[in-house]
Amino acid sequence: MIRTLLTCSLSLALAPIAAAQQDVTAFTNARVVAGGKPAMAAATLVIASGKIVALGASDKVTLPEGATVVDCEGKTITPGLIDASFMAGLNGEDANEQSDEVTPHLRILDSLDPADPMFRRARRDGVTTAHVMPGTMNVIGGLGCVIKTAGDDPDAMLVKQDASMRIVMGSEPSMRNRAPRGGRVESMYYRRPTSRMGVVWAVRRAFFDAQEAMQKTRGAPDQGRPSPGVEVLTQVLQGKLTAVTTARSEQDLRTALRLADEFGYRTVLDEAQDAYMLADEIAAQRATVMLGAPSATAVSGGGSRDGASPRSGTVRALANKGVTFVITTGTNSRRLPLIREAMFAARNGLGPQQALDAITIEPAKLLGVDDRIGSLAPGKDADLVIWSQDPLDPAAVAESVYIDGKSVSQIR
Amino acid sequence: MQTSPTCTVAAALLAALATPALAQDLLVKAGRVVVAPGTTLENSALLVRDGKIAYVGKDIPAEARARARTVDLGDHTVSAGFVLAATTLDADADLGEGALAFTPDLRVAEAFDAWGKRLEHLAPHGVTSFGLTPSPRNVAGGIGILAKPGKDRGRVAEADAFVGFSLVRAARSQERDPTSLMGARAMLREAFDAARTGAEVGPDLAVLRQVMSGARRAVVYADTFAELNAALALGAQFNFAPVIIGGSEASKVVDKLAERSAGVVLGTMSPTNRIADLELPGKLAAAGVPFCFAGQPAQMRVSAALAVRHGLPREAAHAALTRTPATMLGRQAEVGSLRQGCSADFVVFDGDLLDLSARHVATWVDGVHVHGQSHSHSSKHSKASR
Repeated sequence: MIRTLLTCSLSLALAPIAAAQQDVTAFTNARVVAGGKPAMAAATLVIASGKIVALGASDKVTLPEGATVVDCEGKTITPGLIDASFMAGLNGEDANEQSDEVTPHLRILDSLDPADPMFRRARRDGVTTAHVMPGTMNVIGGLGCVIKTAGDDPDAMLVKQDASMRIVMGSEPSMRNRAPRGGRVESMYYRRPTSRMGVVWAVRRAFFDAQEAMQKTRGAPDQGRPSPGVEVLTQVLQGKLTAVTTARSEQDLRTALRLADEFGYRTVLDEAQDAYMLADEIAAQRATVMLGAPSATAVSGGGSRDGASPRSGTVRALANKGVTFVITTGTNSRRLPLIREAMFAARNGLGPQQALDAITIEPAKLLGVDDRIGSLAPGKDADLVIWSQDPLDPAAVAESVYIDGKSVSQIR
Repeated sequence: MQTSPTCTVAAALLAALATPALAQDLLVKAGRVVVAPGTTLENSALLVRDGKIAYVGKDIPAEARARARTVDLGDHTVSAGFVLAATTLDADADLGEGALAFTPDLRVAEAFDAWGKRLEHLAPHGVTSFGLTPSPRNVAGGIGILAKPGKDRGRVAEADAFVGFSLVRAARSQERDPTSLMGARAMLREAFDAARTGAEVGPDLAVLRQVMSGARRAVVYADTFAELNAALALGAQFNFAPVIIGGSEASKVVDKLAERSAGVVLGTMSPTNRIADLELPGKLAAAGVPFCFAGQPAQMRVSAALAVRHGLPREAAHAALTRTPATMLGRQAEVGSLRQGCSADFVVFDGDLLDLSARHVATWVDGVHVHGQSHSHSSKHSKASR
């Protein structure tokens, strides 16, 4: 009740300004799943100047004067979806810097093109924010960023520049490397690591070097700046930057947790198809999981050789153990839209609210951007999707998608 | 300091004696002399002395006019020769150090072949000077030059003209650092950062310091949106306005180019290009972004004419062949126009050069006839072109 009153007074207070700005829109009579709480029936959502200004029951929210009113009878409004493992349409060459296996300071943001068709596809499917990471060909690939999926300038689309540092376990980082066995060494790929244990060695050495550098500068602060890569690793060790470890099979997941424990950093487990096998350990370490595709029956691409066996019951296993997790599209050969993955999760025992939270507010929290996006509340960015019906219904279509209050996709 | 009268007289005498020892002045008369884009003199003349424009039109002293050898071009049009802003003359192997991508202190002048066969393809298409860049295969390739074709051999006009960078795909090799655009960006960002903050820097970073202080121009090969965005961001961060070479997706960043005072060296165009490409020069001109054409010398004039056909003002099209590329390379005082003091580099047409039915008649470099009809009164017959 108090909340409703508050939103009412807010909308009243803002009404005169908003009317003058001529960009106030009110979505009325909608079913609203605001993120992090149960669905509201017959609610009104008011946005102005790219922000949400009011949300409440339709009979309680006063419509601002001059507002454009959109009747959403029969529709469901959710926050814009967040794909925590977005695959930009980059060719492999630009997603991975191959001159070294450990490149913690490289930014995938440097390669992004807003005209990338994958962004258009994301908007059409209701995804308004993407977490883009460097590719999986390096042991430590670099920095991921959080970016809105509409715009013409990456800097303006940016929500968070350095949101994560990607570490990759398994066979992918060592795939191209080879050992010289006679003959001439005529490529830079004659190098470590060539094996799974070599990959672990590379991670361990990187963090060991960062620890050494930290100790040195502690003794003598005038030693000059460490290399940019070491600076990034130091931030991870100090808990200032999120480490995301891509690991698929049970053994790789255990290694990821072991390394984090050994060096005292916390890591998010990305892909994690075999997470159901060690749900207890993950819960004990309070690690967050970015689950690659609940609908997947097999891993596609380079990670297919890692020996993971995805199960539809993984979401339920994680939920039962109280593991915090996020649903992503991952390396699923089916390449389903993000909302369909949530639908699969709901079908396999996840509550509808939890399924939607796993693609909205949970990824926002994971990426540290929940103050701006991931839920519908006054003051947050006006990123929202109007679905033709319950979004977890297989026939649901993202009819209208808004980013910062601007319509970016319309399907009729 | 005082000079005795005898000294002055002696000096004057010496000067008078010395003059005939140098090449004779040349008086070039033509129906139309386009001194610079938008400035055309009817039935005028140029006085060429020591390979440079000494006087233009009415400024020519009567005495000098009388003494000069006259070349009468009849009712033909004379314009400044074309400036090809950027080329490697297909000598990439010599202009790109293969093992390292970061070599900003290497000097293109040291690999310039004055007798190179490719030089012969310039004057026949009106090109009288060109920027020879390091190969786009290196992220920081080296110091480019302004060079010229000649009668038998070319020459370096300015050995220390600009620094060449590259962010295009060719700069990302799978055999050395960097292999990716983000790697190339990080490489340049770190190098500029080190040049800015380091107490003592080596010759390579010293070159970057000159770029940041404005003492040296930077040209950057960039084509896609991400590459162009990278070049502009680098310029914004380290305080320089890049000249972009390539710019095939420049239409996506026109406003940013204008905001950053960046110029674009576009590829030459042909009528088969997409309409959007043909309209780009007009859009750049409207936004105040300097641009010119480089690529196939034979297509430079065609490109300018096509751009006019798709909305570019004629004056801007003429500038794109002459003054703009000269300014981009910081050499507008020497080439790109027929003003006093500039090199006597000019092209002769039997009509408006942007009208493709007008014929290219001759090319002169440094006051020397290098291609086409010579028109010289001293010769009995016209020379055929090579």
